[in-house]
Amino acid sequence: MSTAVTPYLEMSQAIADAGGEAFRKCYQCGTCTGTCPWSPITHFNIRKLMRLSQLGFDGIEDLMWGCSTCKFCVDRCPRGVEIIDLVRSVRSVYAGGGLLPPPLRAFVGSLTARGNPWTGDAPKRNDWAQDKYPLFAEGKEYLYWTCCTVCYDPRNVLVAKATAEILEKSGLSWGLPGTDAQCCGESVRKVGDLDLFEKLKNNNLGIFSATGAKKIITISPHCLATFKQEYGEDYEVIHFSELLADLIKSGKVTPTKDAGGLKVTYHDPCYLGRHSGIYDAPREVLSALPGVELVEMDRIREQSMCCGGGGGGLWVERAKGERLSDLRIEEALSTGATVLATACPYCIAMLEDSVRTMNAEDKIKVKDLTELFLESLEG
Amino acid sequence: MDFEPKILGIACNWCTYTGADLAGTTRLKYPQNVRTVRVMCSSRINPSFIIRAFQLGADGVLVGGCHPGDCHYGTGNLYARRKLAVTKKILEFAGMEPKRFRVEWISASEGKKYAEVVEEFTNDVKALGPQTKFKIRKD
Amino acid sequence: MSRIGVFVCHCGLNIAKTVRVSELAEFARTLPDVVVAEDYKFMCSTPGQELIQNDIRKHNLDRVIVAACSPLMHERTFRKVIENAGLNQYLLSIVNVREQDSWVTEDEDVATTKAKALINGAVFRARLLQPLVSRFIDVNPDVMVVGGGIAGIQAALELADTGKKVYLVERSPTIGGHMAQFDKTFPTLDCSACILTPKMDAVLQSSNIELLTYCEVEEVKGFVGNFDIKIRQKARYVDHDKCNACLACTEKCPGRGVSEWDEGLVKRKAIYIPFPQAVPQKPVIDRENCTFFKKGKCRLCEKVCEQEAIDFEQKDTFREVKVGAVILATGYDLMDTKPLIQYGYGKLPGVHHALELERLFNSAGPTSGKVVMRDGKTEPQSIAILHCIGSRDKNNHEYCSRVCCMYSLKFAHLLKEKTHGDVYQLYIDMRAPGKGYEEFYNRLVEEDVKFIRGKAARVTDKTDNPDHAGKLIVEVEDTLTSQFVTIPVDMVVLSPAMKPRQDAKDMARLFNLSTDKYGFFMERHPKLAPLSTMTDGVFIAGACQSPKDIPDSVSQGTGAAAEALTIVVKDKMELEAATAIVNSAACCGCQNCVRVCPYGAPMFNYEKNVSEINEALCKGCGLCAASCPASAIITRHFTNDQVMAEMEGLMEF
Repeated sequence: MSTAVTPYLEMSQAIADAGGEAFRKCYQCGTCTGTCPWSPITHFNIRKLMRLSQLGFDGIEDLMWGCSTCKFCVDRCPRGVEIIDLVRSVRSVYAGGGLLPPPLRAFVGSLTARGNPWTGDAPKRNDWAQDKYPLFAEGKEYLYWTCCTVCYDPRNVLVAKATAEILEKSGLSWGLPGTDAQCCGESVRKVGDLDLFEKLKNNNLGIFSATGAKKIITISPHCLATFKQEYGEDYEVIHFSELLADLIKSGKVTPTKDAGGLKVTYHDPCYLGRHSGIYDAPREVLSALPGVELVEMDRIREQSMCCGGGGGGLWVERAKGERLSDLRIEEALSTGATVLATACPYCIAMLEDSVRTMNAEDKIKVKDLTELFLESLEG
Repeated sequence: MDFEPKILGIACNWCTYTGADLAGTTRLKYPQNVRTVRVMCSSRINPSFIIRAFQLGADGVLVGGCHPGDCHYGTGNLYARRKLAVTKKILEFAGMEPKRFRVEWISASEGKKYAEVVEEFTNDVKALGPQTKFKIRKD
Repeated sequence: MSRIGVFVCHCGLNIAKTVRVSELAEFARTLPDVVVAEDYKFMCSTPGQELIQNDIRKHNLDRVIVAACSPLMHERTFRKVIENAGLNQYLLSIVNVREQDSWVTEDEDVATTKAKALINGAVFRARLLQPLVSRFIDVNPDVMVVGGGIAGIQAALELADTGKKVYLVERSPTIGGHMAQFDKTFPTLDCSACILTPKMDAVLQSSNIELLTYCEVEEVKGFVGNFDIKIRQKARYVDHDKCNACLACTEKCPGRGVSEWDEGLVKRKAIYIPFPQAVPQKPVIDRENCTFFKKGKCRLCEKVCEQEAIDFEQKDTFREVKVGAVILATGYDLMDTKPLIQYGYGKLPGVHHALELERLFNSAGPTSGKVVMRDGKTEPQSIAILHCIGSRDKNNHEYCSRVCCMYSLKFAHLLKEKTHGDVYQLYIDMRAPGKGYEEFYNRLVEEDVKFIRGKAARVTDKTDNPDHAGKLIVEVEDTLTSQFVTIPVDMVVLSPAMKPRQDAKDMARLFNLSTDKYGFFMERHPKLAPLSTMTDGVFIAGACQSPKDIPDSVSQGTGAAAEALTIVVKDKMELEAATAIVNSAACCGCQNCVRVCPYGAPMFNYEKNVSEINEALCKGCGLCAASCPASAIITRHFTNDQVMAEMEGLMEF
C-alpha cells in the first residue's frame, strides 16, 4: 500500500472560503506553537494545523479542537496570520459535516433549543435577580448585559449579583435585559457554527433596538469582544471593569473597608486583555481597594496565560495534566497570594474548578473583581 | 452597459507618477479610467487645469503629489496643497459634487496606495454618474 | 502643421500581450498631423532606434511620439535617438503604455482604449512642443562621501585613486563603522581589523582625501555638478592641529562614559579615542561625561597635555564645501530588542545581542577576546543563537536582514572554538546565497552545531525542572518533528534586524531623497540604477539602501565611486532646459514668484519693474507659473497650452 499523499487543494480552498484564507501567508516558523500555552502539556500543534490546511492533508480534524482562541499566537505571528480565523473556518468546514465532539454537541444543542449554552430554561434567565433589580427600558442609560454563564452557573450567579449591587449603589440609570436575551454567540462562532451565531446575534440586536439600548455594560469579556467586533458600530460597549475604574475615579463609589493586607494576584482574561486591550482598568480597581496588595504573576498582560475556557474549551472535559487552569493556579500560588482575582465568568469557572480538583481551596480563592470590590464597600 | 467614467489624473513626476509606475512593475491591477498627465511638481498645477478638465468632460479629477514635507522641490507641494484646497472649495461652491475632485499624497514607494486610491476614486465617481455641470458641449 | 511620427513598442510581450499594438499604430495614422505610425518588438533596441531615425529622415518628421515604457525609464534614451537624427531632443513625447497600462490591466479592450487615449493626448501635446536649447554649467570636480564605514571608505579610496579630491564626512570621532567592531568576517573568517585597518590608514595617508570626522552635514544647497554643503564640525575640545596623539590625556581622565564601540559592555574615558586603531588617533572630549563640564573643576587633561591642545572654549564650527557629486554611505542601526519582552534582553543578564557578542570575540574587546557571561569570568557551556529577531516579522521589520544567518554561523564557529560549549541555531530558513556561503553552512553542520528549525518563542529563567535551575530556558517548536522544545542554556544571543539609521529621514530630507516604506534610501531603479537616487548627483552605497554584508557594501562603494566619477570627470554638464521664463510684457510686478520659489531663481528687476528668472537656478518645477496671477510665467515644456492640449486629447476617449 502506498503511503504517499497528494495535496487535496479543494479542501484547502474550502477552508479558505470559510474565512480562513490568511493561513496561506504562514511560513511555518513555529512562533505560534512555541507561544501556544497548550504546547508544553498537549500535542495540539497550531502550526501543523495550518500546514495541513495549506495543502488539504488529512489530520485536520484530530487537531482542530485543541485551540482555546487565546490569541497569543496571533499577536506574535510574524506574518500577521489571523490564526483564530483559520481555527474557526476548519471547524466550520469539518463540523458542518457532523464532526462535532460529544461535549460540544450538548453545548450547541442547548444554544439551538434554548438560546443559552447551559441547558437553562429561558424564562428563568433572570431568576438570580429575585426581582430586586430593574429591567432595562427606553430612557435608561446603561443596559447591563448579563452573560448566560452568570445567569445559570451557580458559582457565577454570585458575580451577577455583585455587579448588580455595585450598579445599584452607583446611582447610575441601568437595567437588565428581559428573559428573551440569548447568548452573545462568541463561543459557538469559534466552534464554527456561523448560522447559529447569526441567529443569536439577530435576536440580541432585536432586543437592543426594541429597547433603544445604546450603552451596553458587559460582565463577560466574551460578550464585550463579540459586541465590539461583530455586532456593528452603533453601540458603546464597555466592560464592567472599565466602568468600575471610572466610578472609583469619579468618586461615585468609594471602597472603604480595609482588607487587612490581603494579597491578591490578577489573571488577565484573554478576551479582556489580548482580544480587547484592557489591562489597566482591572488593576486600577484592585489598587483602589484598601488593604489589598496586588502581587503579579510571571505571565501577565499581553503575555497572560489562557485558562483554557475559550473557543468552546469551557464545555470540554480535559484529563488532569492537560489543564491550563491547573498551571495558572500553580503560578498564582507561587506568588503567595490568597486570592486570585479575574474578570471573566469563563475564567472563574475554569479556575474555580482547578482550585477544587487540586484541593487548594484553603490556600487560594478565585474571585471576580466585582466580588472583591463589593466586600470592600460593605464596611 | 455600465457607466465608465473618464477621469483626468495629474501626477507629479517624482512621487505619484513614480508610484504609479511601481504599481505597474509590481503588476497590481486597478481600473483604467484615469488618464494621467505628468507634471514635474504638483505645484505646477494651475487651478484652471482642474476646471478645464471638467469643461472637457472629465467625470472626475485626481491629483497626486509627494507627501507634504517630502516634495522634490522642498516646498512646492505645500503651495499646491493650499491652492488645491481652495480650488476644491470653489468647485463645491459652483455646485460640483465634492467627490469628483480628489488630491492624494502618494510617494514613489506607494504603488499599492496608488492602485487603491484609483480604485476607490473610480468607484466614487462611478456612483455619481456622468458629470454634466461644467461640461462644454462640442458643436 | 507639424509632421508627427508615432512609434509603438511591443516590449516583447510586456505591452503586446494586453495592448493590441498594431491596432494602436493603425489608430495613430488616423490622427491629425501624424504622417507615419509603426509598431516594433523592441523600440529601445538598435534596430528599433534605427527605425525611428530612418522614419525621421524619410518622412521629414518634426515631432516624435514613442508609446512604450515609462518616461522615467527611457525618455533619455529616445531623446538621444531623435537628437542623433537631427531633431531637437525636446520634440519627443513618451506615452507610458507599459507601467501605467499593460502591466496594470487584465482586459485587452480596456488596455487598448486607454492606450489610444494616451496617444491621442500625446499627439495633441506634441503639436505644441517647442525646441529647447540645453544649458551647460561648470562641474565642480570634487566629491563628498558621507559615512566612514566600509562602504564609504571604499568609495573615498577609489575616487582618491583616480586623482579626485574627496571629502569624507563621518559623524563619530573615527572612521571604521560597524566593521571595526567585528572580530572575524564570514565566510572566510578573515580578521576584520586586518582587512579594514589598512584601508582606514590609507584614507588618512591619501593626499586626495580630506577626512572630516566628528562632522555632520548641516545643509545642502545647489544641484548636480554644483552642490554647496554646509558641514558642522562638532566641538572636540581638542585642537587636532596641535595634538600629537600622545594620548596622555586619556590616561589621566577621571570621567567615564559608555563605550559605543564596545556596545556599552564597558566604560571609556570622557576624553577618548573610540578604539586603539581609530583614525584619526586624536581624542575628543565627551562633554556629557567630562568632570570639568559637569562640575567646573578638573582640567587634568589640560595639565598633562604638553601641546596645549585642550580647548574647553571650543565651539561647533561650520564650513561650506563645494562638490560636484555626493555619495551617501550612512549605514544602519541595529534594532533595539528590549521591546521584544519575550526574549528578555535587558532583563535576563544571559541574553546578548549580536554586536555585544562581536565585542566579546574581539581581542581588542572588553574581555580581550574571551567569551564570558556578564560577570566577566564564567564561560558559557551552552549557547543558543536566535535568528530573525525582529526581521521577517510584520510586527517589527518585514524584510529579511540578509546577513544574520551567515554571522550566526560565524558566531557558532567562534563559540565552538572559544568555549567548546554546545551551540544551538534556532532558525526559520537558512539563507546562504553568497559565494562560499553554502559551503560555510556545510562546514558548521559538520562542526556539530545543533540546528533547530523553529523561531524561538520565549526566553525565561523560570522553570519547574530542577535540572534546568539557574539556566535560561529557550522555548521553541522544532517544526521538523512538531515537538515543543525547551533548551536550557547559559547564554542566549539575539540576531536582531538591521534597520535604517534613526535619522535616515532627516538625511533623506537634506539631500531630497525618497525613502522606501521602511526608511531605507530609495534607489532610482532597483535593478538598473541601484546606486543612483532620484536626486541627480547623489548616490548611495551600503546598508543605508538595505541590509548588506561586507562584500556587497564594498562592491557598492566602488560602484558609487564610478557613478560619481561619471559626473565629476566632465568639465561641463548639460542641464534640463525645461525652465521657466517670464513674459515681461505680461508681468504685473507682484513678485509672487520671487516669494514662492524654493531656489531663489526669480529676481525682481526694479528698473523695469518686472520679474526675471535666473535660468541657472531654475529647476523647472512650475510653481511660479501656477502662482503667477498674470500668467506671465511660462514653464517651458510644460506650458499651459501644452498641458491643456494633452488633457483635451486624453478626454476625447
